[in-house]
Amino acid sequence: MKTFILASLFAGAMALPAAADYTIIAPANPGGGWDQTARAMQTVMQEEGISPSAQVQNVPGAGGTIGLAQFASQNRGNPDALIVGGYVMVGAILTNNSPVTLQDVTPIARLTGEYEAIVVPAASPIQSIEDLIEQLKADPGSVSWAGGSAGGADHIAVGLIAKATEVDPTTINYIAYSGGGEALAAILGNQVTAGISSLGEFEAQIEAGTLRLLATSAPEPIEGVDAPTLKEAGLDVVLENWRMVAAAPDLTDEQKAKVSADIEAMVTSDSWQKQLSDKGWADTYLAGEEFDAQLESDITATDAVLRDIGLIK
Amino acid sequence: MDAYSFLLQGLVTASDPMMLFYALIGVTLGTAVGVLPGIGPALTVALLLPVTYRLDPAGSLIMFAGIYYGGMYGGSTTSILLNTPGESASIITALEGNKMARKGRGGPALATAAIGSFIAGLIATLLLAFLAPWIVKIALVFGPREYFALMVLAFVTVSAAFGDSALRGLTSLFLGLALACIGIDQLTGQARLSFGVPDLLDGIEVTTMAVAMFAVGEALYIAGQGMQHDDQVTAVKGSVWMNRLDWMRSWKPWLRGTAIGFPIGAMPAGGAEIGTFLSYAAEKKLTRHPEEFGEGAIEGVAGPEAANNASAAGTLVPLLTLGLPTSATAAIMLAGFQQFGLQPGPLLFATNPTLVWGLIASLLIANAMLLVLNLPLIGLWVKLLTIPRHWLYAGILLFATLGTIGANPSSFELGMLLAFGVLGYVMRLFGYPIAPIVVGLILGPMAEQQLRRALSISQGDWTTLVQSPIAAVLLGLAALAFIVPLIMRARGKGEMLSQMAGDED
Amino acid sequence: MRPATQNRKRSRDTAALFIAAGLVVLGLVIIWDSARLADLGGYSGLGPASMPRVVGFCLILLALWTATAALRGEFPERPPQQAAPVLWIVAGLAAQMLLLHAAGFSIATGILFAFTARGFGKRNLAMTIPIGIVLSFAVWCVFSQLLMLHLPAGPVEQLIFPRG
Repeated sequence: MKTFILASLFAGAMALPAAADYTIIAPANPGGGWDQTARAMQTVMQEEGISPSAQVQNVPGAGGTIGLAQFASQNRGNPDALIVGGYVMVGAILTNNSPVTLQDVTPIARLTGEYEAIVVPAASPIQSIEDLIEQLKADPGSVSWAGGSAGGADHIAVGLIAKATEVDPTTINYIAYSGGGEALAAILGNQVTAGISSLGEFEAQIEAGTLRLLATSAPEPIEGVDAPTLKEAGLDVVLENWRMVAAAPDLTDEQKAKVSADIEAMVTSDSWQKQLSDKGWADTYLAGEEFDAQLESDITATDAVLRDIGLIK
Repeated sequence: MDAYSFLLQGLVTASDPMMLFYALIGVTLGTAVGVLPGIGPALTVALLLPVTYRLDPAGSLIMFAGIYYGGMYGGSTTSILLNTPGESASIITALEGNKMARKGRGGPALATAAIGSFIAGLIATLLLAFLAPWIVKIALVFGPREYFALMVLAFVTVSAAFGDSALRGLTSLFLGLALACIGIDQLTGQARLSFGVPDLLDGIEVTTMAVAMFAVGEALYIAGQGMQHDDQVTAVKGSVWMNRLDWMRSWKPWLRGTAIGFPIGAMPAGGAEIGTFLSYAAEKKLTRHPEEFGEGAIEGVAGPEAANNASAAGTLVPLLTLGLPTSATAAIMLAGFQQFGLQPGPLLFATNPTLVWGLIASLLIANAMLLVLNLPLIGLWVKLLTIPRHWLYAGILLFATLGTIGANPSSFELGMLLAFGVLGYVMRLFGYPIAPIVVGLILGPMAEQQLRRALSISQGDWTTLVQSPIAAVLLGLAALAFIVPLIMRARGKGEMLSQMAGDED
Repeated sequence: MRPATQNRKRSRDTAALFIAAGLVVLGLVIIWDSARLADLGGYSGLGPASMPRVVGFCLILLALWTATAALRGEFPERPPQQAAPVLWIVAGLAAQMLLLHAAGFSIATGILFAFTARGFGKRNLAMTIPIGIVLSFAVWCVFSQLLMLHLPAGPVEQLIFPRG
């Protein structure tokens, strides 16, 4: 028992509560991208004194819509509550027909983002994105794509690729996996034709030569990445799987400005930059009206492609 | 430097007194949070990870390893003593472990769990250290059809271990499968059986269900029996320590559990629960004391606990060799590694040997520390059962709900806890076994998804399921496990088995 | 939570017939719900509705089996049960659920604690409720303040930790 008390004191000394602070909702299980973003924000806010004892709370489920719904209903007008979200949430809100949408919270800023990458196992006969597209056109069913959850960024990207190659998007053979690890294992184990996910998920494998990178969904070629963009391959597909932070609904203009300023202070700090480089995330900070406009155009485009795939009617 | 010298160097670093102290704190904190029902190692590590940020890399790594092992062992303690499994991988432990505890054999049950975990952890960590690159090659051969075959095998072998009535066992199993359908279908994003309730979209949380079925259902059942059953629980009978017979009956299950758990943990979609299910089924099949199963057989604790720990080390195989986080816990560990600027991936062993071997050494030390901390505490733990019944059950429900609230502070989750608690009570009353419903909830979605993935890849060709040699062998084993008991029963040879088939015939 | 009513040799088990009826209803609900799902089987031939249909169908078969067993009186003897203690615990859990966010962890859980003890024969609520609240508060302090678990705070918690 003595050790327990000692340990408790020890932990307590390290985690003393201080001033009123942000509570960051990560609408996903521990370990995923949103959870990591939330915990990175927590660390930076603590280190920079923006919010000395910021807390993270996980409310997992349904592509973030459960967390979003809970957040919007419980924090109306609360300037200390933040929620992390992202592009996947846009799709999930549409497929789940969620009653709470991003209009019901106060989006603050896009923080980081990743581009999609299309890979095949090293042993695959497919050498280039052109080979893959040829096979897709000849027999869409024979190309099985392993990627993340149904209706998520990966699935949407495949739908866009099919559309751009004039293949009926409802005929794609998309195999959804719940976690990045599982999808990657299926690709490495040569269980599927191709894999699609954020570039970061594949980077180490590409470097080791176990996966072949065919293309990325970036608008411009990415420095140090030896593959064409889909655009360069003649497909009009650009997709960024971004992550953002939003505040509670019904904030006054001053409150919103305060939150925006805090987030900006966080993003411009050295420790945030260190977090980004540690985790291999790109800094795609975008705030204010530009972010609102981008959000709106993403929602419209996503709605269209989900209808094409047949996930929403 | 070769692997041995790296490992030795890591061990030397980790045996510094200050490092041992960090390991002790990690194990204690991990156990303290891990004992909460519903809070498994993943959440434990996520919650406590920030604590480790404040230490230097070596200290952080070892504390982290301690938290990880502590979080895992904590779940077993409550399973055995209070019949409230802390996480899905210790559900099976509750079956026999709690029966033992009620007969005054909580000490040996905890000891065999602790020592079994230690031995399994030790062997599995060493296997991880020296065989990881080879094991992972085998694990990657497992695709959807092989996983589906493995699930079928798990279903068949585990159902054979379910109670005395085929009707009630199957009903319980299918209730679990029905509950498993609730929520968003992984493969198409369609909401099933959620009736527009957003809280149902993510399906039924396995731990909430297990805690409700075991802890709440049982509290209601015992309370309903009124005062006449006062003497059911004996806190300590005989020694709190394992006797010679316990050792004799435990060591083989430990080794078998390790052998089952480690490879399944190494498979990217294996999951620790399946290892515990298969280990339990294997022990039940092989034991010389079949009559004790369901009444508190020590093999039924020793095997699954070893399998659970071995599979945790197995999870590290794809993580360290490929950078694949194949469980929630592994995903958190990945986040933990990143604070040292370490990117797990195929080149990790080559580019970052010091840290990798440091981690492996830390795991070994933390594993030993857990044993050192817990064996002396067993005497204290079993005293918990001497608490008067009204306080004991009030405390159990306090902790059961605390775990549920801590994992997800929503009234809806507590409502589920209550509803499933009542269901568990009614099922107990009518003699339905509890384990199959939980097994159905866990295995159902896995089997369904893997089958549909396999058929998608083959474009609807069912013969794909037997075209891979591994899948064919696993399905063959499952068929044998299903048919042989039927034949034996038909010949009237298996008295025990026909008894198991129950009072229907 | 049916109090058991069997002290006679019965040929028919009415309670078990209710279970059979429940299983039929459950099976039908599952099949009905699956009819609503879009057919997105794609190349596998198995869509989101396939598994629920199989499960629903099997539940109905099991219901028939259960009904047969119930009519033949093949269910095992049920131990005699008292309703009051069970209801106390259910009430405690319900109270905790309803009070959790309004009154905070300590008060809600303290009531659960006291009601459970009541269910097990400790009748004096005037004593057990305070004990429960104090104990729950201690637990709240350890897990929420030291181990960083997110537990709802109410008046008691805010009194001691104003910004809890």
